Amino acid sequence: MSAYRFEEQHTPPPARQVTDVAVERFEHIFEVDPKLMTVHVAQQLFPNWDTLRIAASRGDHLEWMHRHWAAEAVSGQKLLDELDAGDGDR
Amino acid sequence: MTITGTAPQLSDRVLAELTDALGGEYVLTSKTARYNRARVPAPFPVHRWRERVPDLVVLPGSAEQVAEVVRIANAHRIPIVPRDGGTGLTDGAVPERRGIVVDVKRLDDIKEIDLDNRTCTVGTGINMLKLNEVLGAHGLIYPDDPASYPCSLVGGRIGTSGWSLVGSRFGHTRDLVLSFELVLPTGKLIRVGDGGGRKVSKSSSGYQLKHLFMGHQGTLGIATEATLKLYPKPEAEFSPFWAFPDFDSAYRCVGELARAGVATFAGAVLFDEWKVDYLRRDDEAYIPQPADVRALVCAVAYGNDDEVRAGGRRLLRIARDAGARYLGDEISHGDWAARHDRYATPLHGRTPAGQVAPMSWHCEDAAINYTNLPAVRREWHSIVARLRDKHPIFDDWGMFFYTSADTGVDYLTEIDVGIWEQELDDAAWAAWVDAKRDIAAVALNHGGSISACHGSCREGEVDLVPLELGGGYDVMLQVKRALDPNNIMNPGKYGLQRAYEEAP
Repeated sequence: MSAYRFEEQHTPPPARQVTDVAVERFEHIFEVDPKLMTVHVAQQLFPNWDTLRIAASRGDHLEWMHRHWAAEAVSGQKLLDELDAGDGDR
Repeated sequence: MTITGTAPQLSDRVLAELTDALGGEYVLTSKTARYNRARVPAPFPVHRWRERVPDLVVLPGSAEQVAEVVRIANAHRIPIVPRDGGTGLTDGAVPERRGIVVDVKRLDDIKEIDLDNRTCTVGTGINMLKLNEVLGAHGLIYPDDPASYPCSLVGGRIGTSGWSLVGSRFGHTRDLVLSFELVLPTGKLIRVGDGGGRKVSKSSSGYQLKHLFMGHQGTLGIATEATLKLYPKPEAEFSPFWAFPDFDSAYRCVGELARAGVATFAGAVLFDEWKVDYLRRDDEAYIPQPADVRALVCAVAYGNDDEVRAGGRRLLRIARDAGARYLGDEISHGDWAARHDRYATPLHGRTPAGQVAPMSWHCEDAAINYTNLPAVRREWHSIVARLRDKHPIFDDWGMFFYTSADTGVDYLTEIDVGIWEQELDDAAWAAWVDAKRDIAAVALNHGGSISACHGSCREGEVDLVPLELGGGYDVMLQVKRALDPNNIMNPGKYGLQRAYEEAP
């Protein structure tokens, strides 16, 4: 466990422009480009750990929802690979 | 007889009678209790919110208490509005003429789980997700799955005749509710089903009253208990998402998927270019997609593992032959799981200059046959484009088309519109109501129904309900007046006040 450092937590990683309307600071976590939020909305200040917590929590929720509805989520990629290999055309 | 105007000031006598019936702690008069029950997530003239605040809220704990509250309201001619989850999209739970809101959330008990007949009997204040947590321990599921799955209640699903995301496999609320108990506007408690018998799924005895008392938006009574049809909890779920370079090829693909006759098929959805553009703004699955992803299709299957895999191979083969590109397991699994809970989406739109503005999600839906989807899509987008030209507080968030049945005959057709509600004024609201009426007219012109899912009793589209139903609307008026002689049950909805107007 690493120690909590206020300054460190309030210094987000540099933003990578992903599209003309979105940036990425943490892997697979996209944010609306801040330059689009300058007139009508104010951005909240998020410590890094909270951004990561929200994203992880969303992932947990979706996993829970799969288990709630069925014992297993079937992989489309595996079925597609079988089809492409000619094993699934029967 | 003409009954008009707002509710009378509730007298001390009425309060005393309600308190005697329920106990003081379940008769709520505070601003907090009333303001929280003044609206639903439907389009709403926020600048006029004070017009729809109820006079008081009651929380009955039994069907007998609900009946007593209704009898008191009927005796004093006070409007009464049932409220379940308050997640409906057509104002059913909104107290348009103030009065008493009956919040049924205390009726949330599971009274029986019948493992042999595969049914359960519940209070209508229970939520489907919470019910399924209990049923899951028995290997069972109640597969009524609205986009509000975590927060809507069984009673609201009855009152609105809800549409389910997996309805193409398991049926919709009307198919899954075997029978239910309800309190009529006079306070009489009855049970309706498919004929008699609490657990009968098909009867040919008498009128089919179950359907009459579903989808009435609270105008004919308050459901208090329901007996539900249960299924084995699925062993497997399959939810592939595919990308297409254009709408037309995606449209052809979704039609072929829906017509394929796969037994485990639970639904297929088509998302158009506007929807993809919207998703590219702030949906993590679609922001990184290449520019040639212009339309999306999703299919869903549930059932036994071997059957889902066999059906899944067939669906994949159809999509592959139609030129689809599979978006991968991560997007397919994640996006499908998120669809059980669409009331938690980011709610911000864009001004014409591209700036982010806080907007609420609003959606107009219709039931449209497959062959008419392209034309309806063009006309609906044109309507919203004209609206945005005049009032930039509206934003077109795209359309989707979702199978309602297992044959692909008709689709829940929806256009999502962001509304910057804080900027609404009378002129913008009037333009919105006109647009809604135009959207409904397009649905009717193409042989559809104004709503597959949400209902059709809001300003705008409600004007066209008599046109849609024809002579059936006259029967609605007669039924309303016969069952609710004093027009106390959710007055103001569906234009039913006409039932009480004297003929010229």
